[in-house]
Amino acid sequence: MERLSEMTYRQRILATFRGERADKIPFFHLWRRLQTGEAEREARDKSMGVWWQRPCYTESMPHVDIVERRGPSSGLGTTLVEYHTPVGTVTERLKKEPGVGEWKAQRSWRDITPWAVERRIKRPEDYEVVKFMVEDTVYKPDYFPIEQAKDWLGDDGVVIANLPHSPMQMLMIDWVGTPNFFIHHARYRDKVEDLFNTIDRRYEEMYKIAAESPADAVIFGDNLDGVLVNPNLFQQYFMPCYEKCAKTIHENGKLLISHFDGRLGDIKHLIAKCPIDIIEAFHPPPMGDLPLREALDLWNGKVLLVGFPGSVYSLGTDAVRDYLISLLRTVLPGDRLAIEASTENLVSDEHLVLLSRALEQATLPLTEKKVNEIEESILKRPGRSEP
Amino acid sequence: MSEVKYLNVLRDSLVILDFEGVRKAAEAAMRAGIPPLKAVSEGLAVGLRIVGEKFERKEYFLSELVVAAEVMKEGMSIIQPYIKGGGGTSSGSAKGKVVLATVQGDNHDIGKSLVATLLRASGFEVFDLGVDVPTASIVEAVREKKPHILGLSALLTVTMPEMGAVIKELTTTGLRGGVKVIVGGSPVTKEFAEKIGADYRAVDAVNGVNRCNDWVSRR
Repeated sequence: MERLSEMTYRQRILATFRGERADKIPFFHLWRRLQTGEAEREARDKSMGVWWQRPCYTESMPHVDIVERRGPSSGLGTTLVEYHTPVGTVTERLKKEPGVGEWKAQRSWRDITPWAVERRIKRPEDYEVVKFMVEDTVYKPDYFPIEQAKDWLGDDGVVIANLPHSPMQMLMIDWVGTPNFFIHHARYRDKVEDLFNTIDRRYEEMYKIAAESPADAVIFGDNLDGVLVNPNLFQQYFMPCYEKCAKTIHENGKLLISHFDGRLGDIKHLIAKCPIDIIEAFHPPPMGDLPLREALDLWNGKVLLVGFPGSVYSLGTDAVRDYLISLLRTVLPGDRLAIEASTENLVSDEHLVLLSRALEQATLPLTEKKVNEIEESILKRPGRSEP
Repeated sequence: MSEVKYLNVLRDSLVILDFEGVRKAAEAAMRAGIPPLKAVSEGLAVGLRIVGEKFERKEYFLSELVVAAEVMKEGMSIIQPYIKGGGGTSSGSAKGKVVLATVQGDNHDIGKSLVATLLRASGFEVFDLGVDVPTASIVEAVREKKPHILGLSALLTVTMPEMGAVIKELTTTGLRGGVKVIVGGSPVTKEFAEKIGADYRAVDAVNGVNRCNDWVSRR
């Protein structure tokens, strides 16, 4: 239970977002990954807050006929989506949030957008069709999901307005796919840039909607990886979009977050120059390639939300414990930092409770002595608490 | 123009990633009677090697490697018909066969597709089984295609164990001894690869392709 002298989970996370010193290092789990039940209750009673990303707009395309097909003729387990526009047709194949008895990939699929297994842009002529779709898209503010989440969560966490991948990432990941994107960018540069510029312009409406939403902050769900998005691409196509988005978000008194969950070493100096306030899903080695201490020092004005690496969970409880202690020693005195249970997938009850018990004691400023005490306490009581 | 000049133009058009240039250079070289295999080995392949060196020096990035592979393909499409018996990278002349798959339950395709592209550019014959591939299908492909190398990809900690299941099944069916198994994906660690009995864990696409090249060169 919260003690009176402590901040609420929400206050703790928001203070850290603003770069202020909280009472302890915030620890939270993503709502869409969070289990329900005993372990959840125990973790939340100790130190775990909730991070809830919600949409802030609806979109429609009034001049596009969308036909969805399922069944053997369109590929089992997938939905074939046809977009018929006055300038042509494109198709994509999606895996959608599954129902009972369907493919689920051992993940929690709450709030997850469909997964494109065949992208809509395959040929040069598809660019014109997709450009029409982008131009035709109507964005309407819809703040109910955010208001509802805030109402339900109260002081238990924060609600973040969700933006999709930034314009070029939308092409690289969602609509063209890598490695095809690299080839299209080299062969059909004019078409790629024309569509990019169209998305970039249309997204301005979305930024405004997100900025004016009642959410605590706004996130670009960018899934950025500096090996795929090299420094040249990042500088030319990503930074200007972040600048444009940040301007709108900041003018409305909000903070801009971006989901950078990949390897960032090659673009670390460029990230330092971006007006992004909070780097979310930062993964230190072994999954990322940029040490946490280096990132904290290099990105001096930014807050880092560290995704606890999934690869460490897979090595067992001792590895989780060792990694956490090592992480805490690395970040002393622990400012400008929060820890996310996992940005990737589900976390076992044992590991969730272990982290929440350890981080309950991570008061700020964190010292070597406090880390030693945390280490001692979690060595004594591994795993779940006894009932 | 001397033979060396034709070969250099081919090389350089690949290095600067020029699709149109490589077509023209390949057409000109063939018209001038440059031996097609020489055009490949002393023109295009040299260019590809230089691109690889630029990548090592961080002058080029992964995107350029992928584009270079495509430019190589463009040049090959002109030269290939001049090579008697087809040549190129058909199964008869490929340096090795590789089966690739993202394991069951996992739909991540980017890393695997990059590896496929770079392996093909390196001269491998690649059978890309796709994503979310059941263990039985992967084992069946190994039985049928008899590859030198099996590449398995997983981007989720919850799907990583499927890699172990594939290796176990290969062992059970007596196929494991005939194939090297390379695993990759951001959560896949060296320790995990050793635990499941893989031969190698690739830290990235280029590292994986380099290891495949090492293996086949030692055959």
